Amino acid sequence: MESIYLVVIILFCLGLYTTLTNTNLIKIIIGINIMDSSLVLLLVVLGYKPEGTAPIIDQQYSIIVDPIPQALALTAIVIGASITALMLLLTIKLHRNYNTLDISEIRRLKG
Amino acid sequence: MRKIYILILILGLGILLFINFSDLFEDSNLANNKYQLSQHYIENGVKDTGAINLVTAILFDYRGFDTLGEATVIFIVVSAISLLATKERVFVSDTNFSQIVYQNISFIIPFLYILAFYLIAYGHLSPGGGFAGGVVIATTFILLKITFGIRYVKEEEALGKKSLLESLGAISFVLTGLLGILLGYNFLANGQTSLYLGIAGQLVSAGIIPILNLATGIKVGSGLAIIFHRLVREE
Repeated sequence: MESIYLVVIILFCLGLYTTLTNTNLIKIIIGINIMDSSLVLLLVVLGYKPEGTAPIIDQQYSIIVDPIPQALALTAIVIGASITALMLLLTIKLHRNYNTLDISEIRRLKG
Repeated sequence: MRKIYILILILGLGILLFINFSDLFEDSNLANNKYQLSQHYIENGVKDTGAINLVTAILFDYRGFDTLGEATVIFIVVSAISLLATKERVFVSDTNFSQIVYQNISFIIPFLYILAFYLIAYGHLSPGGGFAGGVVIATTFILLKITFGIRYVKEEEALGKKSLLESLGAISFVLTGLLGILLGYNFLANGQTSLYLGIAGQLVSAGIIPILNLATGIKVGSGLAIIFHRLVREE
């Protein structure tokens, strides 16, 4: 169990590192998506019980996986997909205006 | 140099997260999964909602209002993308695939529709539901567009129909929720009203949950199709 939490931490840090160090917009979006996926994995792991069945009660099961984190994971996935779509659209617009995806070359974003 | 600073910062964050999670292991509630709310849902979920799929029961009954907000997020994203994307007409995929691709895609699309409507209709009985089924519906549009190119789909007409469908899904979700108020209970009330819940495990059961599933499926499917449509048009 504890190794899965370690995987979550590594994935999250990897995504954050990608987001902070890369200057390519597409790579930044990929980094944000990796962070998002690690959070979904965390939600799934939180509800896991050893030898538990899926939360579909068609018989009398004794051990059932916690259904609440799964419902919340669905929310997280939907919001993540929406944000990705919006980010991609803005990337397309930036690429059309500046002809580059490198944020260090886009002058007005330098601040 | 900047990368090294960031690396040190992120290593610190990772160590903090690890300490936080190790504290979680000490929590006996988490180790045994003995949360009262989860236990309540597992024990009373089928009786309260009539749906044997507890995830759907939570999504569309206990947290139905939450799901309405979730659907609103997709609606807002579709609106924002439609607003921001210009109306220029650009043909993205002018590549010609081999005959095998065309034949296979034409063959597979009816089955994809069957899968999507199975996922939506049996959302309260088996894994799936409105969101998953909606994504499969959107996949059919995307496949058609990628293989046959934009020219084969009459664009403006299709977009109008899709946005109509999306609004229809949202409105039917809200109207189904208002039914609970009309009957004298809360918004999106299901189990506590005098509605017929049916026998748990049958196709027609669980009160308003299948209707909400259908509304969400239509909404998500058409919404994602519109998003894809707008994104490929913008080049």
